[in-house]
Amino acid sequence: VSARPDGGPEGDLRPPGSDVDELLCRVGRGDEAAFSALYDVMAPRVYGLAHQVVRDAAQAEEVAQEALVEVWRTAARFDPAKGSATSWVLTIAHRRSVDRVRSAQAGADRERRVAAASTETPYDDVVESVTASLEQQQVRRCLQGLTELQREAITLAYYAGLSYREVAERLDTALPTIKTRMRDGLIRLRDCLGIESVVTRP
Amino acid sequence: MTQSIDVHTLSGAYALDALSEHERAGFARHLAGCEVCAAEVSEFAEAVAHLGIATSVVPPARLKQSVLAEVGRTRQLGPVRPARRAVDNTTRWRRWTAAAAAAAVIAVGGAATVGVIQQRRIDQAQSALEQAQRQAGIAAVLNAPDVRTFSAPAQGGGSMTVAISPSLDDAVIFVYDLVAPPSGEAIQAWTLRGGAASDAGVLAPGARTGSKLVHGVAGVDAYALTVERAGGAAAPTGDPIAVVATA
Repeated sequence: VSARPDGGPEGDLRPPGSDVDELLCRVGRGDEAAFSALYDVMAPRVYGLAHQVVRDAAQAEEVAQEALVEVWRTAARFDPAKGSATSWVLTIAHRRSVDRVRSAQAGADRERRVAAASTETPYDDVVESVTASLEQQQVRRCLQGLTELQREAITLAYYAGLSYREVAERLDTALPTIKTRMRDGLIRLRDCLGIESVVTRP
Repeated sequence: MTQSIDVHTLSGAYALDALSEHERAGFARHLAGCEVCAAEVSEFAEAVAHLGIATSVVPPARLKQSVLAEVGRTRQLGPVRPARRAVDNTTRWRRWTAAAAAAAVIAVGGAATVGVIQQRRIDQAQSALEQAQRQAGIAAVLNAPDVRTFSAPAQGGGSMTVAISPSLDDAVIFVYDLVAPPSGEAIQAWTLRGGAASDAGVLAPGARTGSKLVHGVAGVDAYALTVERAGGAAAPTGDPIAVVATA
């Protein structure tokens, strides 16, 4: 099986004509109009991800607000040579979301959350319909190319916000195995999505 | 608990935010010295961003107003230093000193305004001082008949003021209302002589306002602040957030 079934530029989060990187650079120089434009592109992604992880509309709104304000505050630290603006913003949004679900959760609450975490991907039920975006179709196809353990480990961590210890507990699998499956799975996902190295490869 | 021998394999869990805070900090330190790992992590970040995009949902319209309102009253941070490695900064420091000196010359032109602003900064610095523990050495500098003060705005907001008494050979560096350094980092002050930087004290981690008394300042031509690891660095690791030229 080819690691990159169809390669191509689809993995690039910076398609021609996309100006998210440029917008974020302008935001880093204090440009509020650029921030407003960046908001329009990124807020659905930030809010959607927060909603997926925290599973509550009101909290997702709070987390999205925190994340977007952090984007404004730290935008000067974005370096387009090191990755796309989209990935930079979503890294912030994901971390904020994970912080939210992990904080103020101890003992029984945590156990319930781990037990209830779904291994389904958020678009399992929409993917056959016309409402599924190209992005969703592509991601779903690439996730299907993973082993079951790789896919479950990645989706439980990313979409449910579980730590790898919690993932190990939930899947009743040894910690080192989970660690390795997360990494192997991401390597396969990266290749399937056609992501080129951000540094020059030999 | 045994320490994992192969820390590299944590790159997947790191990119998925699946490490505990403690493990995350440990891996981040490892990343700083492992180029291969850093490249892998940034590729993983692009991959997981695709997972994120696939969950897009249009947020309630009120979110935009509320975010823009908060942005309007939120100060931005300056660019971060790329690497925590002390390098030979002499040339760079010389350049900054020269730039700050040029700025000081321009400032002299607007003497009246500058005087008012400086007086306000001194007032602010003195009230910051009173809140802090009163130190006899600092008071001595401020009360010395030959005290001179120099100020410069800091990147992102706040200011740096230096009070010098040549007769005492002492100086006090006041920093006021700076942008808070990131978690685990602190503001460090430096004296510069011909481009060579010497440690002039570190504020408490996270502190935005404070003062440092510096002895033996003859020959110092500029004072600078950088953001460093909590506890301070042996030499500056990045660009200064404020420079005051005094020569």
